[in-house]
Amino acid sequence: MTDTRFALIMLAAAAALTFSAPPDLHAQQAFAEVGKQPPITILINSSPWYAGFEKTVELYEQQTGNKVKLDTTPYGGMLEKARNAVRGEKSPYDLINLDTQWTIEFYEGGFLTPLKDVDSSFDLPKEVLTYGDSGYWNAEKRWRTPSGGKLMAWSPNGNVDLFLYREDVLKEAGLAPPQTWEDVLAACAKLQDPPKRYAVVIRGERGNGIRFEWMYFMQGKGATVVKDAANGDYTVTINSPQAKAALDLFIEVAKRCGPPNAGALGQGDVIQLLATGKAAEAMVVSAAWSNFDDPAKSAVVGKVMAVPVPAPVGGRRPAVLGNWNMAIPKNVPDTQKKAALAFSRWFLTAGAQRAYAEAGSIPVRSDTFQSDLARTPKFRWMPAYLEMQKYASQELGFAEGAQVEQILGLRLNQALIGEMSSAKALNAAAREIEEVFKKNGRRTGTLPPLPE
Amino acid sequence: MLAATAAALNRGFRYWALLPAVLLFVALTLYPTANLLRMSVSTIEFAEGRAHWSFTPAHNVALLASDVVLRPAIVNTAIFVVVAVAAEVFLGLLLALFIARLERGKGLARTVMILPMLVPPVAIGSMWKLMYNYDFGLFNQAFTAIGLEPVNWLGSTSVALAAVILVDIWHWIPFVFLILFAAVEGIPSDVIEAARIDGATTGQIARRIMVPLLKPALAIAFIFRGILAFKTFDEVYLLTSGGPGTSTELVSLHLYKVFFEQNLLGYGALLSLALIAAIASALLMSRRALAGRKRR
Repeated sequence: MTDTRFALIMLAAAAALTFSAPPDLHAQQAFAEVGKQPPITILINSSPWYAGFEKTVELYEQQTGNKVKLDTTPYGGMLEKARNAVRGEKSPYDLINLDTQWTIEFYEGGFLTPLKDVDSSFDLPKEVLTYGDSGYWNAEKRWRTPSGGKLMAWSPNGNVDLFLYREDVLKEAGLAPPQTWEDVLAACAKLQDPPKRYAVVIRGERGNGIRFEWMYFMQGKGATVVKDAANGDYTVTINSPQAKAALDLFIEVAKRCGPPNAGALGQGDVIQLLATGKAAEAMVVSAAWSNFDDPAKSAVVGKVMAVPVPAPVGGRRPAVLGNWNMAIPKNVPDTQKKAALAFSRWFLTAGAQRAYAEAGSIPVRSDTFQSDLARTPKFRWMPAYLEMQKYASQELGFAEGAQVEQILGLRLNQALIGEMSSAKALNAAAREIEEVFKKNGRRTGTLPPLPE
Repeated sequence: MLAATAAALNRGFRYWALLPAVLLFVALTLYPTANLLRMSVSTIEFAEGRAHWSFTPAHNVALLASDVVLRPAIVNTAIFVVVAVAAEVFLGLLLALFIARLERGKGLARTVMILPMLVPPVAIGSMWKLMYNYDFGLFNQAFTAIGLEPVNWLGSTSVALAAVILVDIWHWIPFVFLILFAAVEGIPSDVIEAARIDGATTGQIARRIMVPLLKPALAIAFIFRGILAFKTFDEVYLLTSGGPGTSTELVSLHLYKVFFEQNLLGYGALLSLALIAAIASALLMSRRALAGRKRR
């Protein structure tokens, strides 16, 4: 037998074996059986967790043969694209991803399809995190709650802040990871060495940045923005002595332990300062974690650890949610709605969520956080994240949330940069927020002004 | 009879010929303006998947009166427009005069000069934000290298607006330069030569001959840049988003926040009209000032 003939016979044998093998050796078993669906288009934000989402979508396409088109959009353009989509005759998107702050506008506007209207048997698996029930809408109460509310959306991403620290730096200084803000302040004396190194960096820029971070202090001190919005009492309580104490503490940490431009620090700056080794500790959203273990972006690979955000001494553990909600617009054909729900069903399976986490995103199922992944060094942030979920809550969950955020974002920043005292800033914010509620016909009022 | 009909048609034709342009004007200008006017006296809310309009002019005026950010935004915009436009026109004129005098390499100099104008605003914002960065920025690295204290460019209320104005000047000098350079090149050389023969110095030629001859071009540069400066948005949005505090809040940025972040469409429309009125008033005043000078 010649060599050529032998090779041909072997090739034919190999081909015969390949084609006679059972089908599951060719394609991975789908995490959920969703059937053949028409192609769908998703409006998705290019946030730090996007790469993981994209990879998971590719896996969905491989497993099911269904096609998904992603319209990847920077955060700044998301809201407008979503508004234009739902307000038009027919939405170009079958799923739209909404920042939790925007959801009320879309729920109240009647622009979304309740998920059970697409398939009455659809329910979120019990392991799926609901992030303060932001996916439910009770139209009568005008409140996001499953009690009397309809399931309108599910979360592809839930952010809470983590308190990140440089393990090597703290070890060298003989410090333990902080449990309280008082620990953080005490460590400042050892860690603060500007401009070589800052002890703690926190977002302080006007707008969403400072509002979001300060609310950790606010929750920790037991303060609130309004008295009981869930039950219709919109009395403004932002100028309480507890809120003032929270603001004073925030300013002390940001100024005493941070850089001179604390009032201009945005998300990018905070990540940059920690990733370059210029900061020893930082308050950062969990979605930013991948920046610190990527050698292409970080000078501190493997040196950053995570703990829950500290509480004040005697205060409560804070955790402010900042999640995204994926929803199906009303103005898409029923077949598209079914295809969008099929993707949703698949995406929320344990298998898909594990793949999602492995691809660098933050999963949204509690069992993924409790799996063996959490014990590997790559996912060492998971225990802190899961701990934070125990007391995480939504803030500004009312229709006026965007306006209140604008007010707080400005007044808190003015207090931080020293344009006005903390009491004056909170009094001004309280008056302005009350005005917003009054104009919208809410039952409102305010506390007596703080002494300025 | 036929001739009379043809004559009548001919007389009317000029009006019929205008019709497409009039229709286009109505569709593209009058309708949006009328819609803006309607919005400015309304509250627009969305429910049951559609927009609900209610006539609430007093509500929008009340929002205007109680808008605490608007006042600093107006002051900042006024400072921004006056300082940026004056600096751009002055520096653009100097550069136009200087480059027009070059014997060689004029084309290259002109090409290099207009480069900043070609850079997309997003790239400008990112680039300057990086240069202004307190810890890693080019400026502070240079300052510390020569023993100076780093400057809190975008984080200090006393410096941030100046930092934003500087970016605007860098971005828009080429625009002014192009207008004025074309005008300088258009000045008859015999006028300059005659002045030189009469013993005029370079400074005198520039002041007494060139600048007066350049007045129409200067007026155009001022007006165009003034209008654009009133509407500046991208630079300030990317660099500071109006902060720290309200130190770099400009009216157009505030307008964006009202429209798109707070979703107050009616009040946003009222603010837009106020901005249009402010620009129109500034234009009218500048035209009157120019006309007054001409009469004198």
